[in-house]
Amino acid sequence: MVAPSFLFSQFMGGLTTAMFLFLIASGLSLVFGIMRVINFAHGSFYMFGAYLAWQMVQWVQPSGGGFWIAALFAATVVAVLGGVVERLLFRWLYGREELYQLLFTYALVLILGDAAKFLWGTQQLSVSTPPLLAGSVQLFGTTQPIYNLFMMAVGPVIAFVGWLVLNRTGVGRIVRAAQMDREMLDALGSNVGTIYTSMFVVASFLAGLAGALVTPIQSIVPGMDVLIIVQAFIVVVIGGLGSLWGTFWGSVIYGEVYAFGIPIQQAMAPWLHDMILRWFHADVPIDIQGFSLYAVYALMAVILIVRPWGLFGRPLR
Amino acid sequence: MRLRHCLGLALAAAASLPFAAFAADTIKIGVPIPLSGPTAVYGKPILAGAQMAVEEINAKGGVLGRKLELLSRDSKANADEAVRLSRELIIKDNVDFLAGTLTSAEAPAVSTVAKENKIVFLAPSSKSTILTDPQHIHPYIFRVASNTDVEGLAGAGEMAQFKDVKTVVTIAPDYAYGRDSIAAFTAALKKLRPDIQIVDSQWPKLGEPDFTAFITAMMGKKPDAVYCSLFAGDFVTFSKQATPLGLFKAINNRLVDGGEIGTPDEAQALGNDYPYGIIGNAYDPVIWGGGNEPPEHKKFVDALKAFTKDQYASGWSIMGYEMIEALAAGIQKAGNTKSDDVSKALAGLTFDTPVGKRTFSVQSHETFSPEFWGVMVKDANYPFAIIKDPTPLPANFPTN
Repeated sequence: MVAPSFLFSQFMGGLTTAMFLFLIASGLSLVFGIMRVINFAHGSFYMFGAYLAWQMVQWVQPSGGGFWIAALFAATVVAVLGGVVERLLFRWLYGREELYQLLFTYALVLILGDAAKFLWGTQQLSVSTPPLLAGSVQLFGTTQPIYNLFMMAVGPVIAFVGWLVLNRTGVGRIVRAAQMDREMLDALGSNVGTIYTSMFVVASFLAGLAGALVTPIQSIVPGMDVLIIVQAFIVVVIGGLGSLWGTFWGSVIYGEVYAFGIPIQQAMAPWLHDMILRWFHADVPIDIQGFSLYAVYALMAVILIVRPWGLFGRPLR
Repeated sequence: MRLRHCLGLALAAAASLPFAAFAADTIKIGVPIPLSGPTAVYGKPILAGAQMAVEEINAKGGVLGRKLELLSRDSKANADEAVRLSRELIIKDNVDFLAGTLTSAEAPAVSTVAKENKIVFLAPSSKSTILTDPQHIHPYIFRVASNTDVEGLAGAGEMAQFKDVKTVVTIAPDYAYGRDSIAAFTAALKKLRPDIQIVDSQWPKLGEPDFTAFITAMMGKKPDAVYCSLFAGDFVTFSKQATPLGLFKAINNRLVDGGEIGTPDEAQALGNDYPYGIIGNAYDPVIWGGGNEPPEHKKFVDALKAFTKDQYASGWSIMGYEMIEALAAGIQKAGNTKSDDVSKALAGLTFDTPVGKRTFSVQSHETFSPEFWGVMVKDANYPFAIIKDPTPLPANFPTN
């Protein structure tokens, strides 16, 4: 009944959503996993990445490699910004109550949001797709944007590299040690402060990169910071805070539930209507728009109840 | 130390005296409008239009020999905040009138404050029919903008022109404005072209960052055309994602949008990524493609560009400008600033705007203002899309 090409388009649409979410959520998860700080300002770093990329494109012009220079520039500036913020401010939060961390990072969201408005105004901005990745290809009878396919390649590469570094290198071993017992590592002579700063810089770099890479397919508007942080938060709750693969699969689940929720809600409305008519003899108009979004929230709620540490996370001690 | 303190106070008091005397003579207009947050994109240009109108009127000696004074406050597009600010403007600042708000969330809320306090309130841009429908109308509320019924009728008229279109899909933000505008479009299209079927309706949330799955679901229904009420950043995101997915190609660019995407505000953001060939609208096209620009409009846009120091100016400033022009005309006709008299003067009043005359309906206190519609085209003189031959639509709206 349902065309396979339609299912394939929805699936690919879901994967695109997932890969953007993964880029942003991976940094959030990393910071929490290692430093036990929920950084609500992570979305603000992402927004800065988008604005900085736009700014650079205005300077260098998008032709040729301009976009890639802009993306790298944006990610680097955001990484530096993250490093400075960690050194000067976050440092004081480690080990404090979660409430203080939330209040502090929320204050940072407001400050950075206003700073972006001050620097770039409130007008929606947009960046063109780099010429190399513009256009689309035909795949199984569907039209797939090349840029989306590119993102589907970037996501897993970052997940794999991240996993490799954390699990197969000396640096990764020390980072994991910092996560498990900060004081012991300190006593063994490692500079935990530097490790924290570097991890924060890496997470900020990912946020800035995500912001820059999203510009060819989304408008840059004030408020994108808050919107994305809520989504990223759902992703890490589903996947498990602190787990890189958990974040990856959390993103994929979020994306696919959202993508398939749209056609499902359309098929479900008449069915529900018939059921209510048959069982309750009531002709109730069924309006379940937004079902997709509810499905995602419901999934998060269920996971919070049955497995609060997420699908791939480990229970907190 | 104490002496210096006293001196300072005395100086401050002396300095404020002449201003206090001046302020008592002005006609004060309280303007709650979003000046921060995502909707400030429209709040700011509307305020700029209002400020320009005030400056022009004051340069000619004001109204009834008194100057106009705007007291603008940031409503953050939040209904509660707009209500709080409106009360404060009335009680603390003693404003004579309220004129402002942006969204259909704020305007109906402020309207209740106007009703309680018996003070005239002009809403420049809220489109939801709820603002002035028979349950909510009261003597003090006036709407300068179009409403969603007018928009839907005009949009359906544009869609009906596509003779070979048999199936249409709609997509609109899932809140009052989107729902109302699609309902109006559907009702109007049914009368104009009963042969067209609406095969699918998509309702992404306002501010949706990812339309991909909505677009592929729409395309799955293989429509001949799309009717869309997405606006601002949402439209920018939507079209950036729809273009590579092949939506515009699949429907042969037969997309009609009623969300004011024909203004330079939207077009500039998309630049050459704009899906040329679609049909858009605007309160003020600002740039008049294809010649035939009315001279009053050209004069207005030139003055606006000089006033805001913008290269291209915004398509929303005209709403703030018209709001002040209408209020000034009402005060002039009433002969005083008592809200009861101004309200009577405004009902049925015809006032001039840079794009023609507008009249407040006696029953529903709105102008049923047409908007300018047309095909979005590339123009060698501009690095973005403009409306070709902007046409005020609907040509006739059954007013009450």
